[in-house]
Amino acid sequence: MGNQVAILLRKAPYGSVYTAEGFRTIMGIAVFEMDICVVCVDDGVYALVKGQNPAKLDIKPLGDGFPALAEFGVQSFYVHDEALARRGLTADDLVVPVQVASSSQIARILEESGKVLPF
Amino acid sequence: MKIGVMILEGPYQHQAVDSAYHFVRAALARGHEIVGIFLYTDAVNNANKFINPPGERNIAKQLDELGAQGIEIVACTACSKFRGMRPDLKVEHTRLSGLGSLADYLKAADRFVTFGD
Repeated sequence: MGNQVAILLRKAPYGSVYTAEGFRTIMGIAVFEMDICVVCVDDGVYALVKGQNPAKLDIKPLGDGFPALAEFGVQSFYVHDEALARRGLTADDLVVPVQVASSSQIARILEESGKVLPF
Repeated sequence: MKIGVMILEGPYQHQAVDSAYHFVRAALARGHEIVGIFLYTDAVNNANKFINPPGERNIAKQLDELGAQGIEIVACTACSKFRGMRPDLKVEHTRLSGLGSLADYLKAADRFVTFGD
């Protein structure tokens, strides 16, 4: 197993705090020079969608923060192909360059990551 | 084996903290080392010393007992602020700290286990 930490985003960016805290965890541990990748499955793919506007919920948009993660050395984003397709999305709809990955590829990434933090 | 633990849910609403408690006890019984327990998001509420469930298991006391055995239990500082969980409300053998503690546990552990929804 590698020393990579996979942040697994499974849930929609609004409706629960999981995705926001997943993002905060990336920021919080990246400064300690950890090797981090972000894996989006299920509704977690919505975290990366462009043009999020949750102003009516009185909370800040989450998607805007992901491009800035490159400054912390976090540049590996994997997105489940089926999760994207089922939601009528493509990689072009997302705020960062991603690697679109099949179920078996996602499984392998998670397996090869030494630690997986599911949010 | 060195094991790190993170909990993401509060007391009684979800099984997460109960599962974590039993997991940690079982791991210790088998001779494993727990490098730390990180209470994140609503899980900070599990450390509230005023938890007082009539006739039921006391989750805060269970955590406190683990802490008294020397296991480091840290509640996320920012999450505690969001939830009004002041340091003086916590059971004795827990403390507040930031995501640096989580990073420490991730680095120190051979395996890392998250209990959440």
